[in-house]
Amino acid sequence: MRILSIALNTFRENLREKLLYNLLFFALLMIGSSILLSRITLGDYHRLILDLGLASINLFGVLIAIFVGIGLVSKEVDRKTIYTIVSKPIPRYEFLLGKYCGLVITLLANTVVMVAGLLIVLQVMDVPITSLVFKSLALIFLELMVITAVAVLFSTFTSATLSAIFTLAVYVIGHLSGDLKEFAKKLDEVSQMVVNAIYYTLPNLERFNLKGHVIHHLDFGMTDMALSLTYGLTYSAFLLLLASVIFQRRDFQ
Amino acid sequence: MYRVMRFEVLHAKRQHLLFFLALVLLLSASLFTQYLLEQRSQGRAAKLEQLRLLPKGEILRPALLGYQQLGADLLWLRVVQVLGDRVVRDKDYEWLYHALDVITTVDPKYVYAYEAGGVVLAELASRVDLSNRLLEKGLAPNPSSWQIPFRLGFNHFFHLGDHTRAAEYMAQAARIPGPFPIGPPHYTARLASRLYVQGKNPEVALEFLEAMLEQTTDELVREKLQRRIRRISLERDLQMLEQQIRQYADSRGRRPASLMELVLAGLLPGIPSEPYGGDYLYDSKTGKVMSSTHDERMGVYVPADSLATRGDVE
Repeated sequence: MRILSIALNTFRENLREKLLYNLLFFALLMIGSSILLSRITLGDYHRLILDLGLASINLFGVLIAIFVGIGLVSKEVDRKTIYTIVSKPIPRYEFLLGKYCGLVITLLANTVVMVAGLLIVLQVMDVPITSLVFKSLALIFLELMVITAVAVLFSTFTSATLSAIFTLAVYVIGHLSGDLKEFAKKLDEVSQMVVNAIYYTLPNLERFNLKGHVIHHLDFGMTDMALSLTYGLTYSAFLLLLASVIFQRRDFQ
Repeated sequence: MYRVMRFEVLHAKRQHLLFFLALVLLLSASLFTQYLLEQRSQGRAAKLEQLRLLPKGEILRPALLGYQQLGADLLWLRVVQVLGDRVVRDKDYEWLYHALDVITTVDPKYVYAYEAGGVVLAELASRVDLSNRLLEKGLAPNPSSWQIPFRLGFNHFFHLGDHTRAAEYMAQAARIPGPFPIGPPHYTARLASRLYVQGKNPEVALEFLEAMLEQTTDELVREKLQRRIRRISLERDLQMLEQQIRQYADSRGRRPASLMELVLAGLLPGIPSEPYGGDYLYDSKTGKVMSSTHDERMGVYVPADSLATRGDVE
């Protein structure tokens, strides 16, 4: 209950962010621009519209998650509003979880707006809307949840600027971590174990990337979907728990 | 006091005007230099240059962080714009191949890029080697695409004149299941069999068609395939008979007077029965064998097609 009220409060607070509307505006602009671009391409214009739409939702969702997420805790600390909450009989992890849920609600609202924009474009341009589109969108949202958790984790112990840099770095690493496994294959046994351990600890964000499946009509089974969902949720939970532990120990001067 | 205030207002106004003028001046100056730069590079040269200098697909792919398909789309968009501009110079097709190679490395399942790229390289650029290289690269990542082997088959037939390999590719395309456009056009199997025949390989054609017949449940297609098999059996017999006649002529120094002579010489176990119930007619002057039911021979392109008066014309 307390988590929910913090979450809703965070959501209301987020709605006042101008950055949010800017990003949303550009996302919708990009989704809409696919109509124009599809006129000057040759061949498969369905592909271009879907590609651009899904990529915009993904990219702008990530930007919102990072740039709103990093301020969640550090802003409260800067404004000293954190004292009013920490001094109340609320466990710190509840505060953190509430903040996280608030941002996830914000992201959900944003994603819904962007998806509505995409669906309108798809409808207008007569592009068939398959179940894969929704599977892909669900996994994009899951990726946003993981990124948000990363941003929250960093924002519990460093400044907003550093959190933004770190979270962006994790986003990049998350899409390249698959390569680590490839490198590991070429190493001796001990290094292979070390590299593999690093690979499994880092988030593998490519697991949430179904954009190629949508465009090439590749099947993505329910088992794969369930496993990806579980992976995303457990990884976010792990990050949040880690964030709570750090936040618990933090001393606000 | 009043005068001072008035002066200040005037001063402020003048300052606004100055700022405004400076803004306009700076903007027009930057627009003008931009225009000059544009004139120097002529816009198009820059576009060509960018495609030529495109980083290798293997490097670009990870740098796109999961947005590979979008990256391929945008590159394709640029290639299309440059192609649409004007006649492209011969040496520029090297960069076109490079750009297509990058696009298909970034998104190996972009079938349309292989297909359209293959056509442009072979037909506009007359670079069949590059076209084939691009298309062959697409075969492995796209096992369910008929377009790529179809196009390869066409290149081998039309540009390279290699009928046997053309037939192999066409057969590969014909094996993809599904109705057109998911599967190949209905004539692909027939085309493949014609190519096998043209490559003097009716046995392979028959084998291929029998396999197709086994897979097909559609009655109409089955009937067409069966007609085709009959027609090719005829062609196979004709080719076989003519070859035996040549062999006979080589060893005896003269052509046989009738087909029976081939049997008597032990070259044939018997005269094969004509699949349409007709007879094989032998012209001892030319050494050619014809069928009484069909007055034309099979091939991919027979100019005399229109002169056929009897039999299945396909």
